[in-house]
Amino acid sequence: MAERSFAREVERLRIGDGEVFRGEGILAVTKALLQSGVSYVGGYQGAPISHLMDVLSDGQEILGELGVHFEASASEAAAAAMLAASVNYPLRGAVTWKSTVGTNVASDALSQLASSGVTGGALIILGEDYGEGSSIMQERSHAFAMKSQMWLLDPRPNLASIVDAVEKGFELSEASKTPVFLELRIRACHVYGSFVAKDNIRAEFGLSDAMEKPTREYSRVVLPPSNFAHEAEKIEDRWPKAVDFIRKHRLNEFLGGDRGEVGIIVQGGLYNTLNRAMELAGLSNAFGDTDIPIYCLNVTYPLIDDEVKGFCLDKKAVLLVEEGQPEYIEQAVESILRKADIQTKVIGKHVLPRAGEYTSGVILDGLTKFFAQYAPAHALCAPPESAGAPGFAVTDLAAAVPQRPAGFCTGCPERPVFSAMKQVEKDIGKFHVSCDIGCHLFSILPPFDIGNTTMGYGLGWAGASAFGAKAKQRTVSMMGDGGFWHNGLTSGVGNAVFNKNDNVLIVIDNGYSAATGGQDILSSRASNKTKSTNNPIARAVRGIGVEWIEEVHTYDIARMKRVLKDAMTTAKKGPKVIIAQAECMLNRQRREKPLRDKAIREGKRVVRARYGVDPDTCTGDHSCIRISGCPSLTIRDNPDPLREDPVAYVNNDCVGCGVCGENAHSAVLCPSFYRAELVYNPGAVDRFFARCRAAVIGFFQRGADARRARFAFGDGE
Amino acid sequence: MSAQAIKIAIMALGGQGGGVLADWLVKAGERAGFIAQSTSVPGVAQRTGATIYYVELFAKSVADEKGAPPILALMPAPGDVDLVIAAEMMEAGRALMRGFVSKRTTLIASTHRVFSIGEKIAMSDGRQGAHAVRAEVEKAAGRTVWFDMEKAGEEAGAAISAVLLGAIAGAGAMPVERGVFEDVIREGGRAVDKNLKGFAAGYEAARERAPAPVAGLVAPAPGLDAPVPGRSAPGTDAAPAVRPLLARLEEFPGLVRPVAREGVKRAVDFQDIRYGDLYLDRLQEIVRTDQGCGGEARGFELSKAAAKYLALAMAYDDVIRVADLKTRASRFARFRADVRAAPDQIVRVWEFMHPRLEEACDLLPPVMARALVKSPAARKAFDAVLGKRRRVATTNLSGFMMLSALSALRPLRRSGMRYETEQARIESWLRMIGDEAPRDYALACAIASLQRLIKGYSDTHARGLSSFRAIIDALDAAKATPSPAQTLVRLRDAALRDEEGAALRAELSKLNQPPKAA
Repeated sequence: MAERSFAREVERLRIGDGEVFRGEGILAVTKALLQSGVSYVGGYQGAPISHLMDVLSDGQEILGELGVHFEASASEAAAAAMLAASVNYPLRGAVTWKSTVGTNVASDALSQLASSGVTGGALIILGEDYGEGSSIMQERSHAFAMKSQMWLLDPRPNLASIVDAVEKGFELSEASKTPVFLELRIRACHVYGSFVAKDNIRAEFGLSDAMEKPTREYSRVVLPPSNFAHEAEKIEDRWPKAVDFIRKHRLNEFLGGDRGEVGIIVQGGLYNTLNRAMELAGLSNAFGDTDIPIYCLNVTYPLIDDEVKGFCLDKKAVLLVEEGQPEYIEQAVESILRKADIQTKVIGKHVLPRAGEYTSGVILDGLTKFFAQYAPAHALCAPPESAGAPGFAVTDLAAAVPQRPAGFCTGCPERPVFSAMKQVEKDIGKFHVSCDIGCHLFSILPPFDIGNTTMGYGLGWAGASAFGAKAKQRTVSMMGDGGFWHNGLTSGVGNAVFNKNDNVLIVIDNGYSAATGGQDILSSRASNKTKSTNNPIARAVRGIGVEWIEEVHTYDIARMKRVLKDAMTTAKKGPKVIIAQAECMLNRQRREKPLRDKAIREGKRVVRARYGVDPDTCTGDHSCIRISGCPSLTIRDNPDPLREDPVAYVNNDCVGCGVCGENAHSAVLCPSFYRAELVYNPGAVDRFFARCRAAVIGFFQRGADARRARFAFGDGE
Repeated sequence: MSAQAIKIAIMALGGQGGGVLADWLVKAGERAGFIAQSTSVPGVAQRTGATIYYVELFAKSVADEKGAPPILALMPAPGDVDLVIAAEMMEAGRALMRGFVSKRTTLIASTHRVFSIGEKIAMSDGRQGAHAVRAEVEKAAGRTVWFDMEKAGEEAGAAISAVLLGAIAGAGAMPVERGVFEDVIREGGRAVDKNLKGFAAGYEAARERAPAPVAGLVAPAPGLDAPVPGRSAPGTDAAPAVRPLLARLEEFPGLVRPVAREGVKRAVDFQDIRYGDLYLDRLQEIVRTDQGCGGEARGFELSKAAAKYLALAMAYDDVIRVADLKTRASRFARFRADVRAAPDQIVRVWEFMHPRLEEACDLLPPVMARALVKSPAARKAFDAVLGKRRRVATTNLSGFMMLSALSALRPLRRSGMRYETEQARIESWLRMIGDEAPRDYALACAIASLQRLIKGYSDTHARGLSSFRAIIDALDAAKATPSPAQTLVRLRDAALRDEEGAALRAELSKLNQPPKAA
């Protein structure tokens, strides 16, 4: 089960015409899909569209009622290939993933799909992971639309516009026989708002109709001679039809005033940010009332030449607000205008930064520069005073406010793997570590600082495949269970077996696709009504031909160290796979804590473990933190008036995973750690023994206290 | 009514419930007649990183009059935020850095600290100064409400988000009635009673708006420079056995007395009265030297440093000491409090012990110990029998008796090898301080402070000791530099920079190379 449950929210998906729907952007997208009569949906989770997958998963009952098939696809490539159902049949389908990484994975299937063309509407919802909060390389999905000639929608970030874009996207797709991208930026995915709903629609032509009465058309298959025909068809037939549809349905909007010597062209998704910047400059108000003409591109590919020309014709200069680089739209607008011999200046990256997210502050800065140069008659308000202004010690502040890199959660089962690795490095020397995508990638950050490269989801072992030379040290590769099933089994393990690799792979088997929000995968231990789980990784690895396999419980650091050392030093040749197992603590706590609390309330005997540090034996060296980094293992003032350095301290968030104690043992750190077990609702036997112990221990402690009292300094201690 | 949205930024750390708080604000806003929008960037930052939740509220009546929905932004603009909520002290600083705090801003922040990993992994004290950050934030903000909301939440058994919501209501930072917020908590249906309690605590604290003490900061441990009244005075409750020691303390300069008192107390606690006398003998020597080289004018810096570090050096951490500390009644009371045990709850405790041959030898007579440590056979035998990782159950009779027996070995300590080596090291260290003081007072203070490097157990202890020795060995080279004391302090700090000793090695090699002619 995923980290966040939408079981309550999905009920709202049933509401009908005229009712107001309130919720997050991704819920609105789901509702829009149902209102569009979609027949199948699929995708692969990843921020910022993880919740879309979770909503679809939690909403399977409603999907079922409407005859919609939902797949939690094995990868983005699998999801993209799913859209093949719309090539021959009038079936509407939608898939979703994190972009650009997911689009990279999907692009083979997308190219095929775009060449074949579609009969039923095909919509690809891209969670554009760009700017603040992003975890991936900063690139634009725009390039994929251009290279495969698929249309790219970038609607204004309010729920009504997003829902409209979904519905119109299907129509556009069908009108132009072209798959359509719908790009949603991070915040738009999570924006809470409202829109007026319509009834859900059940498709007239369903999946079973296609399965029972299949039709085929050889001209849809990408193979000579059709592939050449497809290219011509894209230019001669699909493009003009798309342009007609976009114009006719006014997908792009002309907002603001209709005259003036300057105007602004903006990507739809940035419109709200632009308006806020204009509000701050005194050019607009909260309702977007402005004299400045704005051409809002809710479709950023293709551009509509006539609209662009018409907008620019009477203007001296236009400001082009286009986030990211290369500046494809700016180049295209320049090209359209110059070919038409229109001399309007196109000002984009001259006044706006080439790279990075366009926040309202950034756009305000660009606006100010643009108006100063091209429309000095407009008096802009001064930007609001803030810490950016002189007089504030922001630079000192940047040094004083600590960075907070992401890290493993409290009790995370992946932490001990890296604690062990760090200790093994002390024994056998440093080794090259090829990382993968997933929570385990946090190993590259403090306190572990372990890892060299990451080449993509599931590509951890492939990323070390060059290191096949004879050497005195082996390499270690990492892979999560998510990446393993995504493609790592073939690209990593199969590749290593086939090429007679002699290196080591550690697969972190925590039972979920944890980094993306704890979705189930093939090897999850939980039972899942609609999916097949409990397919062990070890069986797959053995099946593909690996002979050296060890399964280790991650919290057993001593054994983890032994096994890793053995894998690194054994004389046995061939690929070595260590499967490090323990359930994601976030999910485990979510499941177990309510049960435990309930048992305690019901008076059942419960024992809860947690850890602590004795401040009088802790000397404030913090070695324990340097091989752990657990959020609940922190520091506090040293209670000893003679010592300066803060002591380690286990706060109340401790879940009792035991890693700090294991570390203290295996790294021979210090005797300060202790494990405490709290007994709730003890039985008679518990109480009897506790009383006996307390009596004896108390006797000796009183004796020791009396001895110390003879040397007391009278400070009341 | 204004035709502008109310803009609210929530600065939180992953897991602090920033999302829950944003939801509450949205629901409360909607009930109070606003159109609400909220956004966030969950993703990897959720895993312990810093995140921002952003809420905008726009008066529905204004939108209705206009007949159009407002265009709300998805992220805060610099200088354009009405209410900033920081669920941790440094996050208030981050809000200022991002430009969200301005004269129009009401800032509601918790004063507790959640230390970042960078602050925690330092080998000494890596904590950043939050006082300076708070001062900057206060200068910039229109209005600030600070108090320790984590503590308030803990007392109420509620999440910090509930306390923050209460503080928003109590500070009147949103045009929403208290009851509306409470209804929203009730409607949530989760931990309602506790959250309402947390809300009330936050509400009251924010209403009082008393300048709250800053908790959890780099506040020095109980100050020894400013003695607590009654603390340095000879304890009238003092046991007769320690009175002679207290009388000796009276001979020390007033500035040195408080720390010397702590020091002698530590020495007695570690061993016995005689050991306390030894401590005072040694310290007296230093004080005499100090007085001889104008220490009074320097506030007896040298004596104070020596008094502190000498006590720590003399009360070294050996097996007997650890066993003693682990079995005390006061320690039992402390761990019960630390794990939040209920008054009568049964708590069982295990220690993580990993005895090594070295520690056992510490207690043996030097000749025997040296032979054993060098003997591979002895090591093998020891590791086979005793040298296993052990979990000692201190709350069980067997574990408690074992540790008690160990701590009862205290009288044997003086005849052990560790005692001999520690005392020899202390003597030579004190000699060095005494020799240097008349020549270079600051350098003598710096030598005294090198004791800070020696701490911990096993590898950590060995590492500290070897850094200590490496710096002592470089003393002559340091003296050749323009400012020997500063050089020594730089070396000491370098030794605390990384575990591998790379920074110290770099500093040392710089020292040994004559500066190149320009």
